Amino acid sequence: MKARNTVAGIFGLFLLLSSQGLMAASDNWRNLTPPEKDKVLQNYQRWEKLPPQDKEHLRDEWNRWQRLPKDERERIKQRYDRQRRDRRDD
Amino acid sequence: MKRQAPLQSACKSFEEDLVLYYYGETDDVEQRRVQQHLSQCVSCQGFLDDLRRLLPQIAKSEPMTPAFWDDYYRETVAKLVRQEERQHWWRALFAPKPMWLVPAFGTVGAAVLVVGLLFGRGNLSSFIQRPAERIPQEILADENQLQFFESMDLLESLGKLEKQDDPSTDSTSSQSIRVRMQQDIV
Repeated sequence: MKARNTVAGIFGLFLLLSSQGLMAASDNWRNLTPPEKDKVLQNYQRWEKLPPQDKEHLRDEWNRWQRLPKDERERIKQRYDRQRRDRRDD
Repeated sequence: MKRQAPLQSACKSFEEDLVLYYYGETDDVEQRRVQQHLSQCVSCQGFLDDLRRLLPQIAKSEPMTPAFWDDYYRETVAKLVRQEERQHWWRALFAPKPMWLVPAFGTVGAAVLVVGLLFGRGNLSSFIQRPAERIPQEILADENQLQFFESMDLLESLGKLEKQDDPSTDSTSSQSIRVRMQQDIV
């Protein structure tokens, strides 16, 4: 009886914890604007068609990006946004 | 079935007294008066005889077996228990539950909580109103994945951006310096 209770408790805890990430992602998704959602979906579709080595490269870049200092990331992000805006204006 | 003969008619003034007399519920004076009348009245004697013949049959009850009384007792107790349960059904809610129910309810509660938070915290209509929008599970697998797909464009040109990312050549900073200088001049 005790073992069964423990297993049930662990299972419940597992459900709760595993849902945390999903909930956070769902929240973030809901907070995106429609153009941002479109961009994510387009990127995902593009990602699916990429060859494995490109996928790996992007994963590596993502890991590197996350390891960058915050101020550097912000600077790069600003630069990227500016360039994109410029390209759109042209 | 043998049909009983109807009661003989008695004198109207003695009819009620004769019934009481039969049951022995008359006082001495009344009893003597009835007995005196009976000695003279044949129809009242016949009426009394009929009472003596018929009333014991009406009141006669068959003796019940012990098995009957056992069943009767059991049924009565069962009825009382059922009635008690109906009256205090809410007490059953607080009655001790089997041990396995606690984690089972806990798990169900956690699942309900997750679903409630998932659909209740945000905008439910965003799930319902866009059925055509199939969000791949890979995007929503975790927060990290969503951010990855959000910044995929940037990641593709990360190397190039890093090379350009030299604060000395940053046009924003030079622009802001220019603006500040203009303000100083003004």
